[in-house]
Amino acid sequence: MAEPVLLVGAVAYDPKVVTIWEGIRDHFQEHGCPMDFALFSNYERQVDELLKGHIHIAWNTPLAHVRVKRRSVGRSQSLGMRDADRDFRAKVVVRKDSGVRSLADLHGKTLAVGSGDSTQARILPLYFLKQEGVDLAKVALLPFDSDIGKHGDTGTSELDVLAALHQGRAQAGVVGDLVWVNEQAAGRVDASRLEVMWTTPPFDHCMFDAVASLPRERVEEFQRALFAMQWEDPRHRRLMELEGLKQWMPPREEGYLSLRRALDEQGNW
Amino acid sequence: MSRGTGERRAPTAAAIAIDGGDLPIGGGLLALVRPALGLIEPGGVLALLSSSRAVREDLAAWCRVEGHEYLGADPTADGRDRHLIERGSLGVPSPGEPPRPLGRSKGGVTAADLLAAVPMPERADPATGFAPRGARVEPGGPPYPFSLLERDRVAPPDVAQLYDQAVAAQWDAARDIPWDKVKELPPALEQAIAQIMTFLAENELSALYVPSRFLFRIHPAYVETAMFLATQLADEARHIDVFLKRAHARGGPMGISTATTSRSLLSLLELEDFAEATFLLSVLGEGTFLDLLRFVERHAPDEATAEIVRRARADESRHVHFGVAHIRHALSSDAALYDRLEGAVRRRAATLHHAGGVPAPIQDALTVLAARGTDPPGIARGHEEFRRLLDEMHGSRVKRLQSAGFTAEQADAISGLHTPNFM
Repeated sequence: MAEPVLLVGAVAYDPKVVTIWEGIRDHFQEHGCPMDFALFSNYERQVDELLKGHIHIAWNTPLAHVRVKRRSVGRSQSLGMRDADRDFRAKVVVRKDSGVRSLADLHGKTLAVGSGDSTQARILPLYFLKQEGVDLAKVALLPFDSDIGKHGDTGTSELDVLAALHQGRAQAGVVGDLVWVNEQAAGRVDASRLEVMWTTPPFDHCMFDAVASLPRERVEEFQRALFAMQWEDPRHRRLMELEGLKQWMPPREEGYLSLRRALDEQGNW
Repeated sequence: MSRGTGERRAPTAAAIAIDGGDLPIGGGLLALVRPALGLIEPGGVLALLSSSRAVREDLAAWCRVEGHEYLGADPTADGRDRHLIERGSLGVPSPGEPPRPLGRSKGGVTAADLLAAVPMPERADPATGFAPRGARVEPGGPPYPFSLLERDRVAPPDVAQLYDQAVAAQWDAARDIPWDKVKELPPALEQAIAQIMTFLAENELSALYVPSRFLFRIHPAYVETAMFLATQLADEARHIDVFLKRAHARGGPMGISTATTSRSLLSLLELEDFAEATFLLSVLGEGTFLDLLRFVERHAPDEATAEIVRRARADESRHVHFGVAHIRHALSSDAALYDRLEGAVRRRAATLHHAGGVPAPIQDALTVLAARGTDPPGIARGHEEFRRLLDEMHGSRVKRLQSAGFTAEQADAISGLHTPNFM
């Protein structure tokens, strides 16, 4: 009997997800790794179905990744990540007219933050700010809980944060560095009004997680096909642009330590 | 290294240094950094002097997103930061040798001057798409469906000069013909003119459509050939226009379109190979038309008709020149092409074998034209003129074929197989 086709889960946070995964499916097929994909509407459902073994692999946010690791008691397998997922950081951006020059100046001010389940725009920045001695009880949070369940994938809540800063509804805000540099590079940030004030320590972002029972040779088959994607190859280029990477990288776990501690501390598991 | 988020490194020599002032990433700094990085090879280092605190915060993230490596920053004596960026391997290749500056011909700056400054590559890459020759092309673009990818099969050396000449020689069928000189003619002669103009327009329609089938197959690295063909198409459009205007000038009926002509022109339209099409259309077909147009000019009964065919012949002679130059150049680099071209002529002749002689309506019209009317002694002279035309056409074809590179025997055989439809 032929081996069952690998079933990979992804969350449909945008219509482009279908384009991305149809392209990746074709690429995997050409590279001797027949696979299909299943789309979920939120990461909680995807994590549940992965742990039940209904899908073999899931393309997970950092929050979904650490939850899979914890719920599988460390037995889930990490397969690969994007170059852009390594050494992610979050930024504290301030209005130039706010008088906020240091983290201590945040006390008594309004801080715009992204979705409650966004690693880069909510969970980790607040954790790191506390580590740096900011008393969050003295900061008025202005939360943008858009697209809950998507773990901040859409970036909508981060754009909401920047819009609130431009409009003066908050003196400071937190966003991921990807959104921050891309919005600046695209000329959508008014540099006369906003500036970066502080950068968090690095943390890692998305990960392909596989069920513990996926055999070694199938894992290797998947990784071979994944790492064969090349930025210079026109067939892959568009998919990689849509998915926001230039190169697939091997997995590493140390970049998720701060997120685990943050979830412990915030009681957010 | 005391600042920034990059790891500690020994001081590194930079290939290029730029001064970013106090500009932040979102305030225009990238307009200095991106072009500077584009000038250095992957692995080369850019030094950025900056007094912006925001750059200290953001530069590492921008480098990560763009696939460059941020090496960190050193303080300078005047209190600024000297950031170091190692260029990543992705992105646009760094520029090679700068092109020669553009020369100037007597008549201004020509396409030939431009071609001399940026020469054509021997082979072209379909993935460079519509990027103009000489542009630095970012890798990863989609492949385009261009199939004419070799210089020697597409572009004769003097193609840019031919384009320049063609542009300079454009004329206006509305204003440049002395339309008021169209005379009232005896009905038979006017009908002969209408028949000739019908025939010319029909053949020129094929000359408009056939090259257009190859235009989009030409790789833009050889754009001068596409540009020349564009002038050829404009010429044919003008000829169709001017021939039809003359056909209708006296309000007479149009002539006949024969099945022989139709079959002959379809066999041109169905050609799939650019060299074969150039050979059959331009070298043999338009070449033969030069003699036909000269014949009509010599016997034209009014100044307007003479001017029409004189101007059309000047244009056609450029097309023939391009065709001969193209074939001569292609033959010199590919000896197997002789057999292919001869084979194409033979195949075409086989499909037209029952076509007989020159289509009767055009044969009769040319005879009446040369006779200047229908009196029998005149017709006898006209008939002789027509027979002499056929000999002239054969003789010019043989000369032209020899000039393209064929032997006298090959030229004679090929010319003998040419379509009785002239085109």
